[in-house]
Amino acid sequence: MSLDIIKSDLIQYFIIYKPQIFYLIETFVKIGILYGAVMTLAGVLTVGERKLSALMQDRVGPNRAYILGFTLWGLFHVVADGIKMIMKEDFMPKNANKILFTLAPIISLVPILFVFAFIPFGNYINIFGYTARFEIIDSNLSVFLIFAFSSLAVYGAFLAGFTSGNNWGLLGSIRAQAQMISYEVVMVLSILPVIMIYSSPSLSGIISAQGENISGFIPKWGIILQPLSFLIFFTAALVESKRAPFDVVEGESEIIGYFVEHSSMRFAGFMFGEYIEIVLFSMLISIFFFGGWQVPYLSDSGFTLGNISIPVNHYIKVILELLSISVKTVIFSCIFIFIRWTLPRFRYDHITKLCWNYLMPISVLNLVVTAFFVRAF
Amino acid sequence: MIRTKKLDEKKLNFWESIYIVEIVKGLVVTMRHFFINLFFPSRIITVSYPEENLPLIGNAKLKSLHRIKLRKDGSPKCVACMMCATICPSKCIYIEADETENYVEKYPKVFNIDMSKCVMCGLCVEACPEDAISMDTGEIVGGSYDRFRNYKNGGLFLTKNELFRHLPHETISKSGAANRLANKYLEDKND
Repeated sequence: MSLDIIKSDLIQYFIIYKPQIFYLIETFVKIGILYGAVMTLAGVLTVGERKLSALMQDRVGPNRAYILGFTLWGLFHVVADGIKMIMKEDFMPKNANKILFTLAPIISLVPILFVFAFIPFGNYINIFGYTARFEIIDSNLSVFLIFAFSSLAVYGAFLAGFTSGNNWGLLGSIRAQAQMISYEVVMVLSILPVIMIYSSPSLSGIISAQGENISGFIPKWGIILQPLSFLIFFTAALVESKRAPFDVVEGESEIIGYFVEHSSMRFAGFMFGEYIEIVLFSMLISIFFFGGWQVPYLSDSGFTLGNISIPVNHYIKVILELLSISVKTVIFSCIFIFIRWTLPRFRYDHITKLCWNYLMPISVLNLVVTAFFVRAF
Repeated sequence: MIRTKKLDEKKLNFWESIYIVEIVKGLVVTMRHFFINLFFPSRIITVSYPEENLPLIGNAKLKSLHRIKLRKDGSPKCVACMMCATICPSKCIYIEADETENYVEKYPKVFNIDMSKCVMCGLCVEACPEDAISMDTGEIVGGSYDRFRNYKNGGLFLTKNELFRHLPHETISKSGAANRLANKYLEDKND
């Protein structure tokens, strides 16, 4: 068989499988863009949290780490922290179940990362006739899949405490299970009205439905139609990310938390997972309640409001849409941090009471009322 | 009998019990601090020590970096009597004595202070019979990663070169018995 035949075969295969090859390249590019952005934001948040909290408390915050004399407002602390984590001793307790102990940080990190695959982070782009949607997995049931996968993260917290052979870790993981599982119910219940209003169980459907306007000029965002849902979902998101004011799981002063025995990069997995969770919930809040990548009044034909319309270039529109969801995500990540550094910790029984006695009935009521209105009008 | 204490817990009213209003109130406070500090960073009162120093108030400058006072001709007032090295509780002063050319007194051939050990107690100043060592420079020793590097190069080790000096615009002191003798000897020699 000569080279020419192979060559011609390859060309034939390329012609036959052209859409598949293009799809593969497209998917890899999208994974690179989204996960690169998420990882970068989560990394910057680790030092951003210290910096923002410092500003809130009239301090300067981290500003010492430098490379070649440049401190860059303390941004190099991300690198310094990473190097410190890698260089630390990797400790394995004697009583621990070695396999599950190692698996716990991975389990708490991977499902959260996987959820991002379902998230549409832009509308679509048209390059030389090839159309690509900014969504890695396009599923009709993406809302339910997201909650299914993000609820797997509780197993990370659960395994870490149970398998470390430490009683403080056990206490922490019991607290984590109690609050995370109960608030997952509330979280899903608070999202159901949103799904009903936009009549779509997929994230891209919910977002494109939010592009319309109520009575001509108010954007049809979730925050305007379902403010109660927003409050409940935001509270549940705070609990799910296990941060103050719901951080009895960690409760630094009494029990260190479910990751007492985890050190080095094992601990970094939990910590980084927490920040990725913040990014995830900020993205979900901006998608469900603030229109995701929608820019108000911007559609394919450009900005339109009533009779006025300004045409916008396709590529500028794509950039505006990508910026829209990025800005919303960053703002909500900052709000997560602001809330943490403003409020004191809830007592353990107060958290459970807040869930089952108040948020749960309110969200069910909200669901019923929404169902009534959706059916009636 | 078990001692008990009754707590008067304030009952929350409706707006307090739904948390939202109180959370917004709290956020207003923290956000005010955040935005004021973000846009006017000069309002943050943190001093980046050791690059920045606050001016020392009152007599605080009398417990600052050591120096050895000098005579008219530039020779040290120190006569290497070892008083300071003896009284020093942290043993941070090291002196090697030698004879001067006039055979009247001694002088320190080596005078080292290890500032990483010094506790700034000021006992050396009190003990000095010559009023030679003093802690009135007004400088504060900054933090350093290397205690054996010279003070001038960012370390914590003081030698003769850094210790023997006048303060800016200082009139030469003539107090101390041996100091007076030595000054008189110098005057006689000049005559």
